[in-house]
Amino acid sequence: MENSFDTIIGLNVVLKGNLHNKGSIQVNGTIDGEVRSDENVTIGETALIKGPVSAKIVEISGEVKGLIEATEKLEINPTGKVFGDINAKTLIIKQGATFVGKSIMPADMPKDMPKSEVSDAKEEIKPGEDKLGFFSKK
Amino acid sequence: MYYYIFDIKKCKKKTQVEDIKNHLLSLGISGEFSYPSSGQSVEDLVDIGLEKQYNTIVGIGGDEIAAKIANKLCGKTEAMGLIPLEASPDLETLIGAKSWREGCENLRYRRIKEIKIGKTGNNTAFLTNTYLAINSPIEVTIEFKDYLVQANVTKLVISNYSAGIQKLSEDFLDISMTSVSSNSNSILKSLSSLLGMKKGQNSGESIFRARSLRVFTKYQIPFSTHETTIAKTPQFFEISDDTLRIITAKKGQQFWG
Repeated sequence: MENSFDTIIGLNVVLKGNLHNKGSIQVNGTIDGEVRSDENVTIGETALIKGPVSAKIVEISGEVKGLIEATEKLEINPTGKVFGDINAKTLIIKQGATFVGKSIMPADMPKDMPKSEVSDAKEEIKPGEDKLGFFSKK
Repeated sequence: MYYYIFDIKKCKKKTQVEDIKNHLLSLGISGEFSYPSSGQSVEDLVDIGLEKQYNTIVGIGGDEIAAKIANKLCGKTEAMGLIPLEASPDLETLIGAKSWREGCENLRYRRIKEIKIGKTGNNTAFLTNTYLAINSPIEVTIEFKDYLVQANVTKLVISNYSAGIQKLSEDFLDISMTSVSSNSNSILKSLSSLLGMKKGQNSGESIFRARSLRVFTKYQIPFSTHETTIAKTPQFFEISDDTLRIITAKKGQQFWG
């Protein structure tokens, strides 16, 4: 099995606990706990994560219920569903994706702005809804 | 200098013992030969070789003798050599010798590589890998340091070195697992196909890297290495803290690039 991922959680696999990795992680199964990587986390269409996710780059095609932190980029694909807050330098939400939560983009944040005022907007993008690229920042 | 432990059961022909001895003699690397018996195990013979202050203990045989010698020499300064006879392809790749003649050549050039070995909770070693010997899916729970994994598996391989698994770090065992739905794999496959899911999206392939793990199953199931049972569930596995000094091929092989 040659692949570029350090760890792969396959379909039909249930993982309980905290998965911390230096290398990349691909999730196709279910995780009940924290997922943390120094590199990339790729969440496949069949994946369900109940817990926080943090990595350099996070790509979501499945479902995440929890806080997501991406130091470089967060991408939510059309099949992706996020129920939780987002903290990402670059955020891409594709048409059809679901996002329910607050989003913070540290690079745009004025230095003197109190944390509580960063963003309290709740956004939900449902399939078929066009947000005119409002959340699609490259 | 060389203490040879000969697993005669692995010889295809009666003349093979003499052929190997003569070849070693011609290469100028002959030494003392010993043979395991009901009275003297491989481990006993390694102890004898070390007491006699040989700096290289060479197994002539397959995965079983290699694992036993490796287990005794791991963490020691004495080197291990292997002349393969009916060894698994993975072990042959690891040492870089696909025949006994190539194994003899390796000894002649004496290129030593330090590697870690896999160990079970009952103090059995494996140089390459060990797999869960199952014919049908079975529910497995694997306990890692910070998390627990549950799946209905059709394949579980705990690997130190395997040709098919990319080795990312010497300090970790690679755990490769194939899982299926606990309800009905065929129904899931049909649904995936109907929904037009791309190949790979419904992949039941998992891979984990860990220093240690525990494997639990509902029923006791053996773990095998090259068709020999080395442990049974529930079982603990770990990568050794110490290294083994093993003689490998002069040129780099697959596992080390």
